[in-house]
Amino acid sequence: MTLKDKIASDRFIVCAEIGPPQSCDGDVIREKSKHFKGYVDAVNITDNQTAVVRLSSIASAKILLDEGLEPIMQMTCRDRNRLAIQSDLLGAAALGIHNVLCLTGDYPTFGDQPEAKGVFDLDSIQLIATVAKMNSGFLLSDHEMNKAPEFLIGAAANPFAPPFEMRIIRLYKKVEAGAHFIQTQPVFDLEIFTRWMERITYLGLHKKTAILAGVMAVKSAKTLILMQKKVPGVKIDKQYIERMKAASDPEEEGVKIALEIIKILKEIKGVRGIHLMPYLWESITPTIVREAGLSIIS
Amino acid sequence: MIKDIATKNNPPISGRERKFSRLLLFFEDVIKIPLFRCQRCGECILSSTAFICSQNCPKRMRNGPCGGTRQDGSCEVYPDRKCVWYKIYYRSKLLKRISPLYDIKKIHNWNLEHTSAWLNVFKKRIEAPKWFVHKDKQKVKAIISNDPER
Repeated sequence: MTLKDKIASDRFIVCAEIGPPQSCDGDVIREKSKHFKGYVDAVNITDNQTAVVRLSSIASAKILLDEGLEPIMQMTCRDRNRLAIQSDLLGAAALGIHNVLCLTGDYPTFGDQPEAKGVFDLDSIQLIATVAKMNSGFLLSDHEMNKAPEFLIGAAANPFAPPFEMRIIRLYKKVEAGAHFIQTQPVFDLEIFTRWMERITYLGLHKKTAILAGVMAVKSAKTLILMQKKVPGVKIDKQYIERMKAASDPEEEGVKIALEIIKILKEIKGVRGIHLMPYLWESITPTIVREAGLSIIS
Repeated sequence: MIKDIATKNNPPISGRERKFSRLLLFFEDVIKIPLFRCQRCGECILSSTAFICSQNCPKRMRNGPCGGTRQDGSCEVYPDRKCVWYKIYYRSKLLKRISPLYDIKKIHNWNLEHTSAWLNVFKKRIEAPKWFVHKDKQKVKAIISNDPER
């Protein structure tokens, strides 16, 4: 059963995320993938995350595919113009990668090579529309392809960045452009997320697209504080930081918080699944999936 | 699926037209640069961004803010500035021009960079500006409730 079928069915979906290494060592990905096999439906492969050079997302996705996992290849607009994006997408489709997550991408100044030029020829919404057009058999130049790719199109959403109403408009546009599923930023503020989901269900967008809520498990309070300070657009409820600080075993508390959040998310109307992002802590995934009572049928 | 997602080079710009475009651009600059900090993209969308130039965004977003707007509304790249789209949203609300924000803006034609947007409108390369947005609230409602599944 592919992710596409699972989204078409009623099942609760669990996704995870792997960051490729900053070297050509493909074994790192194979090693990390072991923590996910049998526990998650699909695995995101980040594309030069935070503007730091890493093993390419297409190659990593292919490695995952060979390991028997279903990859979701992330594609950002930071490093490629429209020509490179289309050719990379065709290459990915030829390799058997059928899930793509369309992102605008972090600005180069966030990474370790801030001198680089950010391309941003398209933005995420235009990228979604481009992939949808390719699915229908045409390139951006209106050239008709002999064989059209069949991408499942994903997009990201950040309910926590202001202005709130603009985030709904962005999601509306992403669905309009053709996004099949949406992965959100890690939920650490349930009040805002619930309000956002209420608006989404009111607009009926949850029927046209599958909303996967982001869940992050962290090892220490320091990580949370660092995230709030360094990662723009992230909002963390104070109670979680205080709980992590007060805990005698912060790792255990981190898992507990993640499980609590998953339990609440499962109850929210319109949430079709979760997207797990254990920060530098892939090995915890099986524990979380098991204890949250989520089972995967492959 | 949306059919026309990119602004095409149609009709193509001749060398003679570029010369004329440069002349017109001089007058356009005099107005647009001091008023809107125009970045001369040649594909003006000021009328649907409540007359704030979206091209001042470091990522040159044409379809709304990226996910990096900070909690105080400042830009993720330059924390000393407000996010351009944060300003656009609140100005749109003030001027009752929310409905244009729902339109998906086409992929930018970089060939039009540093050409006169006025001439490009006249030549029908880009959409004409909508000076007045009537009954904004009803329009937003119509866009939202245009959904048969709801």
